[in-house]
Amino acid sequence: MSTAAGADHGHAHPWYQAHHFKNMEQQNASNKFGMWLFLVQELLFFAGLFMAYASMRYFYPGTWLEAAEQLDKVMGAINTVVLLTSSLTMALGVRAAQLGQNKQVAAWMVATIAGAYGFLIIKYFEYSHKIHVGLLPGKWFGFDELKTTATNAPQIFFSVYFMMTGVHGLHVVIGIGVIFWILFRALRDEFGPENYAAVENVGLYWHLVDLIWIFLFPLLYLVR
Amino acid sequence: MSSSPAAHGAADGHAEHHVMPLPVYFAVYGALLVLTVVTVAVSYLGLPPVQSIVVAMGVALVKATLVGAWFMHLKYDAKFNIFTFLATFWFMASFFVFTFFDLSSRDAVNDVTGQFELRKDVEEAKK
Repeated sequence: MSTAAGADHGHAHPWYQAHHFKNMEQQNASNKFGMWLFLVQELLFFAGLFMAYASMRYFYPGTWLEAAEQLDKVMGAINTVVLLTSSLTMALGVRAAQLGQNKQVAAWMVATIAGAYGFLIIKYFEYSHKIHVGLLPGKWFGFDELKTTATNAPQIFFSVYFMMTGVHGLHVVIGIGVIFWILFRALRDEFGPENYAAVENVGLYWHLVDLIWIFLFPLLYLVR
Repeated sequence: MSSSPAAHGAADGHAEHHVMPLPVYFAVYGALLVLTVVTVAVSYLGLPPVQSIVVAMGVALVKATLVGAWFMHLKYDAKFNIFTFLATFWFMASFFVFTFFDLSSRDAVNDVTGQFELRKDVEEAKK
């Protein structure tokens, strides 16, 4: 079959072009549009969590001012810088892939994975502190300095906090997996100027994770 | 379209192969760091909640635009992808606005019933 197809087009397809695409331009355009559809679905999915934040803050404005004070702004700011830095290394990795420099792609992926782990380690310290002192959702809440009353509901703030940062953290974990995939493919020298869609799409995903954190950080840590 | 395995250096001039010069990446990164410092610094000023969230969201929006336009290459992307991305915010806004139409008519959760009861019902019960 491949020889027949080759005869039809007057040339063989490059190995990275799927049979059902006319050419690489068409394949790359479809590929990227598909990725954008996935990303906007992610945004709509997170919109539900942002809505939960907005509605609970609307009902318990005082709680938000008080409970958010318990979060560590410095830790949050450091994590913001860590994630922004990993976004830069990812963007530079995509650029290296565009230029076909696979060794550099691999190096930038290692740097991005390091950033992702750094983010999770800092998050681990934040979570373990909160678990230790009882800054927890719902019935597990047991932090005596913040009173739970009809108009003050710190346990709801921490439900929202753990849900939003937890789902975001899950995206970071998945990100590490797909960045490893790019790392291994780069080590096999697979990417080039025509064939870097996978790097670009993983990059888009990683930037979206960063984009969501850009909003989570001020909403949760910088209320006051 | 040539079938030869592309050589190093994407100098073929197609829009989707647009390679940005390195200084652009570092400028965007620098701006993102400065804006992070700004938003943290503002949070220590002790502004009233409304001013505080307006400033914080304003800074976040600028940061998101920087990431979207340059790191995500939206500036050089197909128009339809940009449209898809921006159209999403229309749907998110509709979701928020219509939910708040409902929420604004309700009281905080009732501890006994566990419901967000309608404000007019709460006021009638008090009579």
